[in-house]
Parts: sequence; structure tokens; C-alpha cells
Amino acid sequence: MIVFSNVSLIYPTSTKTILEDLSFKVSEGELVLVMGSTGSGKSSLLRLVNGLVPHHTGGILAGDISVNGISTREVKPGGLAHLVGIVGQNPLNGFVTDIVEEELAFGMETVNLPQDVMRKRVEEVLDLLSLAHLRNRSIATLSGGEQQRVAIGSALVMHPKILVLDEPTSALDPIAAEEVLSIVQRLVHDLGLTVIISEHKLERVIQFADRIIHIKGDGSTVIGTPQEVLKASDIAPPIIELARALNLPDISLSVRDMRRATERLRTELNDIEIPPHPAPPMTTEVVCVEKVSHSYGVAPAINNISLSIGAGEIVAIMGRNGAGKSSLLRGIAGVLNINRGKISVCGVDPATLHGAERTRTIGFIPQEPSDLLYGQSVIAECRAADKDNKIETGDTFALLEELVPGISPNTHPRDLSEGQRLALALSVVLSAKPKVLILDEPTRGLDYAAKNSLNATLRNYARKGCTVMIATHDVELVAELASRTIFVADGDIVADGSTIDVLLSSPAFAPQVAKIMSPAPWLTVKDVVAAIYATR
Amino acid sequence: MNRVLHPLAWWIWAGSIAIAIAKASSILLAFITVGAVAIVVIRKSENAPWSKSFQWSLKIGIWIIAIRTITGILIGVPTAGTKLFTIPQIPLPTWMAGIRIGGMVTSERLISTGHDGVMIAAIVALLGAAASLASPHRLLRSLPVMVYEFGVAVVIATSVLPQLVASLARIRQAQRLRGQDIRGLRGWRRLALPLLEDALARSLDLAAAMDSRGYGFSRKRSRYRPNTWRFSEYLICVTALASLQWPVLALVAVAAALIAVPSQKNVAELNLVYS
Repeated sequence: MIVFSNVSLIYPTSTKTILEDLSFKVSEGELVLVMGSTGSGKSSLLRLVNGLVPHHTGGILAGDISVNGISTREVKPGGLAHLVGIVGQNPLNGFVTDIVEEELAFGMETVNLPQDVMRKRVEEVLDLLSLAHLRNRSIATLSGGEQQRVAIGSALVMHPKILVLDEPTSALDPIAAEEVLSIVQRLVHDLGLTVIISEHKLERVIQFADRIIHIKGDGSTVIGTPQEVLKASDIAPPIIELARALNLPDISLSVRDMRRATERLRTELNDIEIPPHPAPPMTTEVVCVEKVSHSYGVAPAINNISLSIGAGEIVAIMGRNGAGKSSLLRGIAGVLNINRGKISVCGVDPATLHGAERTRTIGFIPQEPSDLLYGQSVIAECRAADKDNKIETGDTFALLEELVPGISPNTHPRDLSEGQRLALALSVVLSAKPKVLILDEPTRGLDYAAKNSLNATLRNYARKGCTVMIATHDVELVAELASRTIFVADGDIVADGSTIDVLLSSPAFAPQVAKIMSPAPWLTVKDVVAAIYATR
Repeated sequence: MNRVLHPLAWWIWAGSIAIAIAKASSILLAFITVGAVAIVVIRKSENAPWSKSFQWSLKIGIWIIAIRTITGILIGVPTAGTKLFTIPQIPLPTWMAGIRIGGMVTSERLISTGHDGVMIAAIVALLGAAASLASPHRLLRSLPVMVYEFGVAVVIATSVLPQLVASLARIRQAQRLRGQDIRGLRGWRRLALPLLEDALARSLDLAAAMDSRGYGFSRKRSRYRPNTWRFSEYLICVTALASLQWPVLALVAVAAALIAVPSQKNVAELNLVYS
């Protein structure tokens, strides 16, 4: 179906080789996962399949790619629209129309299909992706998972043979992600569709993949079955880490297989006395939320929420897309003028904070960390932060060096990888030494290494007595990081307690290790290893 | 389902009224019409990110009036009339006779420069109203395929502006959180860079998506749900075009839009993402 022969790719503006001498074949009905650290060229590889690279982006391409016998050199991406459906990293940016049904029809209109064919195909896809009840809705009002399904649907109406998905679940909560991935899985099995997918949260997809292409970042690649690739890879989801830590001979990809492989171990561990989880000591209150409500127009976003957070706590806020996480955090940061109730941070109303006083009290990392940045180079950005915060010149850059060593000071912030950009925004915000740090879904597009370094930074920061609040969909990160978890649904707090209690009580939000080791209350590989050492 | 007007109808309507105002050259008519158009925008525009374009065009209009008045006072041809006050005059070489900087300010001069400013601001406000009322995406789809010869550039150009407005609020908020109060030239520079980058990145994404979905590949295009011209479209366009001849009819055109056009509010429901 897809043949890459001796493909090499470089972009003229960069000295790095993206791909070097890559050859592989994908046959019909295969699901291929592309993995690699951020900025390694996953998106480029995906976009090579329908010729967006180099037709749309530029770049120097050697070798040949043929899709169903057609060379992408000779045909523009539009000419492959009936063969390859591609869904970009942020589907909202790719929508052309406003209404679900019109969006589905758009591709067919452009290739001039007759109206009756369009009607039929739209109905088919609406049913296939369970979108029928949303047909007349405005796309901007849909949840993230629904938007992702519309994007997949608008590719499927063209009856493509290949579906290319670029990080389809990175912005989704675990339940919506499962919804999208199970649909993809069904398309592969029922329609024999060939799917190429890239993803950072490997724990979500490895069990579906037939093969994995691992892009190393230096141009080299490894291709093989998930077991082969993951056994030796430096990027690994918790399930693989666990298998390595337990010295299991084989690697299992799904929770079910892993539970079978660890059956004996679990019964052995069953007898261990598990000490009761100590309640975190009450510290001085830093953030106080009293009976806060907020609504946009008629739709309520937060419903009478009261909350108290102490110094040194790391609080994770979880919940579906649109549950009110962002509204709550923006209210606490003082950028959203709440309708009713009272919020105080360190004893003051955050909405009244300005300038230096604000940066010293609250640090906020928005969903797009680049919104904070305006410098022309990393060093210019750091100098500006030094000046704004009236600290020694070079302090911010030193902080950045601590977070992620080896960033060249003259790089433009836009050319950094996702994780490096987050680190830059973090060091700019942290250089003011705020008492409260708020992060709004920072892990989108971060690989495991970047997440670990974020984890270490935030823990260090909290140890100094500062408060961290983080909204995220990433259960694995919450399990590693947070001491307390608040679960928000429909504008209400439905659970608030220690991370271990909250995560274990909801099967959908339980981390992989907890699912494997259930009913033992361990969330991370580290917990399991520590428990085993304690017994021996 | 609520019907949305053909985007082209809105643009014809707003364009004709803008020309009518410029033709009538009456400050009174300009103010009344823009005021009435504001009511149409409030009542009829969708709750969508680009609906804020009108507010922004009003802000730009105020700047235009201010700048035009100031430059009108400082630089210009001497106008005879009632003297208001005198500011110091900068001597210019003789070959620049006819132009002067500073000098006596007459009420006639003040009125004429203010008048020009109001006219330009009214035209800008009407274009902003059209951008608020007609979805840029839908307008893009109504473009003939021939335009694709200009290629992806058209897609980027037509979508960059509404997206700029949508991104502005988000980035301003983020900058405020960094302790920056956006004031003055330095503040705007800090805002402009991430704003342009963001808007451009989004537009490139859109262009790539359209490209890979076959946009412009076929010479002909079919329509899933044809954007038909019905009574409301004809009514607002005919009344607006008539105002080109009799500028006072601009008010009738605005009234026609207010009465004949169904509310488009529910079409885009509540926009939680950007509000």
C-alpha cells in the first residue's frame, strides 16, 4: 500500500537530518505507530505519506515514496485526497466550515461528487463514528473527542485507503481518547483501512499497533513489531517499564496480558501488610476559593465551588474536556472575572494584582506556553525576564540550563521542541519566584523525558514551600507528581482527596500500573519496586 | 435549523452602505447609520470568534478620527475662517509654499478634518460589521474555484484576520499573567510577535488541511447544501444598492436587515471555547 524506498529528508533552514535512508513497506489493513521524542520528525514522516512534505512545507527529499502505486513526487496532496485521509495535530485548525455536516461534505464538494452520493456518504460516516446526534452542531461547541471524530469523519467520507493521524489523543482526556482509538481500531478491522498514527502517550496505543517505527531523532530509525522495538527503546510507557523492573522475560502490551504475566507475583505480594496512607499534614492556607460560580452566557462553567489549598501542595485537577478545569484555574490566576464568590491567593484578590506584584505571587503557564514568549532568541527572552523581575542578569538562563541543559542561547523560541519551549516558559515564570504556580494542561505533546524533567522541577519547587496546581489529562503524570487530586465534572468538584484514593476509585482514570497490580494500591513502577524491596 | 444568510449578501449590504455614507458625506447620517448597524451586529451576528471584529473596527475608527484630527491641525493648507487658537509655526523652505506646519487653527479647518476622520472611521466600521456578520469560512467556500490559481495564499489571507482577532484575547491574557500590562508601543511589540506567529501557524495548518482534502484539485465543485439566495438576501441587497442613489435609504437597508434576517445566534450556539 505504502512503499518508502531510501527516503531521506532535510529542511534547508536546519542542519539536522530528519530522516536518513528510510525504507519500509506498509501493507493493507496494517496499523503502524510512529514514535519518537518531540521534534524528532514524526509529523514530517506522516506528512510525507500524502506529499504535504515537501509540496506544502518545502524541504529536500531524496528517494521515493509511492502510495498505491502513485509516486508522491508527481502528484500534489490534493490529487491523493481520495487515497489518503490525514488528520492534523490540532483538528480545530484544519476545519474549513462551521457545522458538522458541512464539514463532512467539504472534501467531497471539492472533488465534485454528485449531491446524492454526498448525502449517502455523510449518513454512513455519521453512523460509523456515532456523530448523528451532532450533525447540526457548530464545531466550535463540540468537546475535544467529538472534534477529533469529526476530523476523522471528514477524512473518511472520501473513502480513503489510508488514514494518517497525527497525535489524535494528545489533547483528550482518557475516556475521549479511548473512544477515538476504539473507533480507529474498528476501522482497521472492519474496513481493512491502513492506519498510520503517531502518539506520545504510548500506553494508549501500543496494544493496537501491528508495527512501530521509532524515529531516533538523528536520522536513524528502527522498525519492527511492538515487542521488538519497545524491548530496547529508551522511550517506554509504564507497562514496559514495569516489565523491565520485574525482569519479565517477555514484554506484554496490554493490561490483560500483563496481569497474566504477573499473576504469581501478585499473589505473593497480596500478603504484604500495606501501611495506611498517611494524611498529608495541614499547612498554611495559600489559595482559598469560596462559593465560586461562573458561567459563559447561559452555560454554567463552575458551580458553587469551595476549595482550600495549602503551601507546598501539588494539586492535580482532572476531568473531561470542558468540565471547568481551565475556568477554575483562570479564576484563581485572576484573569477570569468570576461572576459570584470570592477567591483569595496569599490573602489578596488575584484580579487586583498587577505587574511585579502579580509575577511574585502567581505564575501561570497557559495551554500554549508560546503565548508567554515574544523574544527573538532564547537569551533575549531570558534577559527580558531578568529585567522584568529585577534579578541578576543571567539568572533566568541559569534556571533554564538547570531544567533542560544544552539549549543554544541564540535559538529562536519557535524552533525549540515542545518540551524545550515549556521549559523556557517555566524558567521565565519561575525566575520571579511566585508563591503559587498554575499550569493549564502542560503535557500536550511532551515525551516521557520531557515529562520526567517537568516532574522533577515541580517537585523541587513545591519542596521550597510553594504551591503547584496543574490541570492535566495525563493520569501517569498525576500518579508520579501530585499529592492531592481534585476531580471536576460539569462545574462541580466530584472528588477531592489524596491522589492515590482519587485515582484508584475511578477505573477509567487509574494509571496503567494500578490497573495491572489491582487491588494493591500502587500507582507507579517506583511504588511497586519499593514494595517488593520491602518484602525481601 | 436556523438559516444563515449568504455571506456575500452581507458584504454587498455593508459595502453599499459604506459607499452611500461616503457619498452623502454627512456626519449625522454616518453616526446614525453606524449606530443602527451596531444594533444589527449585536442582534444578528453569530456567537463566534470573528464576531468581535466589529468591536475592533470601532476601536480602530476612534484612532483614525483622533489621528486625522491631530495631523489636520498640525499640517495642512491654511484655511480662512474663525480663529480658534494659534500654535507655533515651523518655518518651511519657500518651495514648499502652500503647506505649513503649525500656525493658526480655524474652526472650519477643525470641522473639515474631523469630518474626514468620521467618514473613514464609518467605512472601517461597516467593513468590520460585514466581517462580524458573515462567517469567513463560509465566505471562503463561496469563492469560485478559479481563485485557487492564487492558491493557498488566498486561504491564508482570508483566514488570517479573523484568527488574529480570536488569538488576541488569549495572548493578551497570557501576557497579563506574565505581569505585562499591555500599554504603549513596547507593550504592543510584545503582543504583536506571538500574535502574528500564532495566526500564521493556524492559517498554514488550515491551508495544509484544505490542500490534503483536495481543495482546488477539481475545476468544478458540487454543493452539498447550496448556499441559496432567498428573499432576505435579495431584500437587504436591493435596499442597500438603492442607497447608492439615495443615501438616506441606507437607514432603510439597515432596518430591512434588522427585520427580515432571522437571528443567527443559535447557529453557532454558545461558543465556550473562545469566550
